[in-house]
Amino acid sequence: MEAFGLLLHGFGVLLTGKTLLLMMVGLVLGIFVGVLPGLGGPNGVAILLPLTFTMDPTSAIVMLSCIYWGALFGGAITSILFNIPGEAWSVATTFDGYPMAQQGQAAQALTAAFTSSFIGSLCAVLLITFLAPMISSFALRFGPPEFFAVYLLTFCSFVGLGREAKHKTIISMALGLLLTGIGMDTISGQLRMTFGSTDLLRGINFLVAVIGLFGISEILLTMEERLALRGHAASISMRVVLGVWKDLPKYWVTLVRSSFIGCWLGITPGGAIAASFMGYNLAKRFSKDPDSFGKGRIEGVFAPETAAHASGTAALLPMLALGIPGSGTAAILLGGLMVWGLNPGPLLFVEHKDFVWGLIASMYLGNIVGLVLVLSTVPIFASILRVPFAAIAPMIVVSCAIGAYAIQNAMFDIWLMLLFGVVGYVFKKIGIPLAPFTLALVLGSRAEDAFRQSMIGSGGSMGVFWSNGLVGSITTLAIALLFWPLIDKAFGNVRRLWNPAVT
Amino acid sequence: MRNLITAAGAAALLLTAVPAKAWEPTKPVEIVVAAGAGGASDQMARMIQAAIQKHNLMKQPMVVSLKGGASGAEALIYMKSSQGDPNKVLIAYSLIYMLPLSAKIPFNWRELTPVSVIAMDQFVLWDNASGPKTVKDFIAAAKASSVPFKMGGTGSKREDNVLTVFMEKKTGAKFAYLPYKSGGEAATQLVGKHTESNVNNPSENLEVWRAGQVNALCVFDSERIDYKTKVTATQSWNDVPTCKEEGLDVQYLMLRAMFLPGKVTPEQTAFYVDLFKKVSQTPEYKEYMEKQALKPVWFEGKDMVEFLEQDDKLNTQLMTEAGFVAK
Amino acid sequence: MSLTDTEISVDDPTAPEADSPAVTNNRSVEIVVSLLLVGLAALLGYDNWRTGISWDSTGPQAGYFPFYLCVILGGASLYGIVAALRDRTTATETFVTRAQLRRVLQVFVPTLLFCLAMQFLGLYVASFLLTAGFMRIIGRIAWWKSLLTAFIFTAAMFVTFDIAFDVIMPKGPLEAAFGY
Repeated sequence: MEAFGLLLHGFGVLLTGKTLLLMMVGLVLGIFVGVLPGLGGPNGVAILLPLTFTMDPTSAIVMLSCIYWGALFGGAITSILFNIPGEAWSVATTFDGYPMAQQGQAAQALTAAFTSSFIGSLCAVLLITFLAPMISSFALRFGPPEFFAVYLLTFCSFVGLGREAKHKTIISMALGLLLTGIGMDTISGQLRMTFGSTDLLRGINFLVAVIGLFGISEILLTMEERLALRGHAASISMRVVLGVWKDLPKYWVTLVRSSFIGCWLGITPGGAIAASFMGYNLAKRFSKDPDSFGKGRIEGVFAPETAAHASGTAALLPMLALGIPGSGTAAILLGGLMVWGLNPGPLLFVEHKDFVWGLIASMYLGNIVGLVLVLSTVPIFASILRVPFAAIAPMIVVSCAIGAYAIQNAMFDIWLMLLFGVVGYVFKKIGIPLAPFTLALVLGSRAEDAFRQSMIGSGGSMGVFWSNGLVGSITTLAIALLFWPLIDKAFGNVRRLWNPAVT
Repeated sequence: MRNLITAAGAAALLLTAVPAKAWEPTKPVEIVVAAGAGGASDQMARMIQAAIQKHNLMKQPMVVSLKGGASGAEALIYMKSSQGDPNKVLIAYSLIYMLPLSAKIPFNWRELTPVSVIAMDQFVLWDNASGPKTVKDFIAAAKASSVPFKMGGTGSKREDNVLTVFMEKKTGAKFAYLPYKSGGEAATQLVGKHTESNVNNPSENLEVWRAGQVNALCVFDSERIDYKTKVTATQSWNDVPTCKEEGLDVQYLMLRAMFLPGKVTPEQTAFYVDLFKKVSQTPEYKEYMEKQALKPVWFEGKDMVEFLEQDDKLNTQLMTEAGFVAK
Repeated sequence: MSLTDTEISVDDPTAPEADSPAVTNNRSVEIVVSLLLVGLAALLGYDNWRTGISWDSTGPQAGYFPFYLCVILGGASLYGIVAALRDRTTATETFVTRAQLRRVLQVFVPTLLFCLAMQFLGLYVASFLLTAGFMRIIGRIAWWKSLLTAFIFTAAMFVTFDIAFDVIMPKGPLEAAFGY
């Protein structure tokens, strides 16, 4: 039981007054950003990231991951009480959550949401706990060609499987890759695309871009719409909580199914959004009474919330183990790791055991503390929405500016943030997806370095990407995914030829 | 009542202390690191920070500020543009000579104010534990290999790369130099056998050496490292032969020095010279030097400038011979 | 029911009217953006070409990848222009209405001024001005409420970042007067 021993050690790292305090602070801030309109998980984490810069990495990741859990909980509050999904993956929660609130069962719906979030995360954390030790023994097999193959796989899956117009995905990704090349090239030590500017020398920081692309642009988009809202206030009593918990065993099939879907989609970069819809749809499909869904059925809250959180948590595994973020927020946590000098990837589990197990332990503790905290403070957070947007908007702008400045102490980054804000606003409106852009910004230079290191090692031969079973299968899979739409079509044609009756 | 007396005492102390010390920082002092977190410079900065805090050597707090962007060029530009600001200190190493040459960064160390040279860092030739155990066998294997041996290192056209070029020149063996972002990465890639060797600083390979995953073949200095405490089960730093003893005549030492921005007053410089002198006498500092196998040296004032001029000349010559100076 | 169920409702008196005329459509914006991207691709492509785009013995040179990315970006953007010209539906989709644009500028312009003020006054004074000004002028909230909120918010930020977490923010003449 190596995992168990390491986990206990992780708890040992965490159980100090300071860490617990940081945890609470993180959770409160997280719920806060989750509830605020125009913020939400990824932005919140990006903006609050600088708070952790002067901490040691373990405290930093504890606080940051607690902000993340908090934001996940916070999203559920607005979905149920106000029918405003804080995050895309909370959309499915509104289907039954809001009707429940309308029927005066807001407290039950919230309890159900928080409890199932907790269950979902817990399942994913258990999975991570038992998979992590296997990863570290696997880790040392990763050299430059393997790293490049994995990055290639990520990029290709975005282009091949994305739903947006292909040329828009390509524009977004190429632009991101191009911008990460600005500054000094690691391999040759030459400066690129800096045009003699000392500000561009540093390169474009991924977090600054994210704060602009998501934070600033979201405010601009929010302003376009009518800001009126109408919702329900609720406070949760112990009796309601126990009532909901007593009924939990009745829904065990739904809970297990959703956890499984969530974990699966979290590890393969399918993401929490797909997981929450899939969890909801499957629960409805297998229900004896599918028509009652959408009218305020508690199972309709359990299913998507469990799946979304299982997936959101499981997404941290590929982030830590391969350096590939499974979700937007995981991408920002990845940026954070790099700021603290921890290189995410298989070697993280070998080089920074304390950190990894501290993080995993903090997932357990953070979820428990978060559940208690959120159950007791719902009314306070719900009332945040009463604050007029005219007061909240400037505060968000200021928070964004602090976040952007603090990353590199550079005034230039403030202007960059503003520019990315406008870019994000325009891109969102004309349907250029931002996810490939941010992915390219965070992985681009690492992918290029890995490729060129492989080339130096192999003396310029591309054969190195098929030089052993591991790298060869990843590379082949990547190329297959890139041409997935074509392959899919070809298969369809073959099947039709084979069996003309199927159309 | 007691509080009042201590307060009065403190006030009196303060009054007598003020005229003695002409200048003192009034804001938190930023210690600027020209490398990523966890690297040798960062560890040193955090050690200095801890030593100052523990022994109460300065009233204002010290904040570590990481500026490792563009291979450390970010930190150089940052220091250059902070002219006259006495609340920023740079932990410098050989990049102050090399970066302006290889990447045409508009920077010259003469634009900063030298405070003191606090240590010299060693370079060691390492290979994987399953590889040859001596320099001679290693060179022979490198020569016999049909594909060039892969040599890992930090950054491109910098100290690690220069050493690799000189090893090629002296031995006639061919190496393929793989630049990584940090020494830590170069270390784990060596353990994973993705490279055959690297020329990391002792601190960067310390942990994997202790774990028995790599061999320390030789140290690039004219004499062996002084520290005789056992680091691995069988070896101390002192047991590692010099490369010259083993017939590979290449030597290189890298400075670790503190700089203030340009145009600060002599009183301000004097404060920091004094501060780092005190730091260098703390047990934390001594322990750190031994653990990381750093060579203790101390230069300040005129001596330091003289040393820097010479060191600059040497580095420029090496860079030119290696063909790394940008046209 | 054990819960105290009260309504929360917030109104938005200055919401943009639904029938406001469109300023521009998605098609025009798409074409303009694509043209800008083509320009950017050309500029960066030229710079990388100067850096070196060939493939030497140790793999690609520094400019190789960025150069071909410029080619891909340029190509995809040109395709975007053609696609936008051929697609009729986007021509009728409203990019932004006049009323919406007014609201967006109401946030964007103060943000711009805030960034500008930050260079001279430091972050905290600028954020005080932004919060108070925005609440008063755009939100039409009473002066005393605006000033008080702005002051509390700014002070809280100062304590959190500069004092509690040692994150140093840009300062202006006011902070200097207090010795920070």
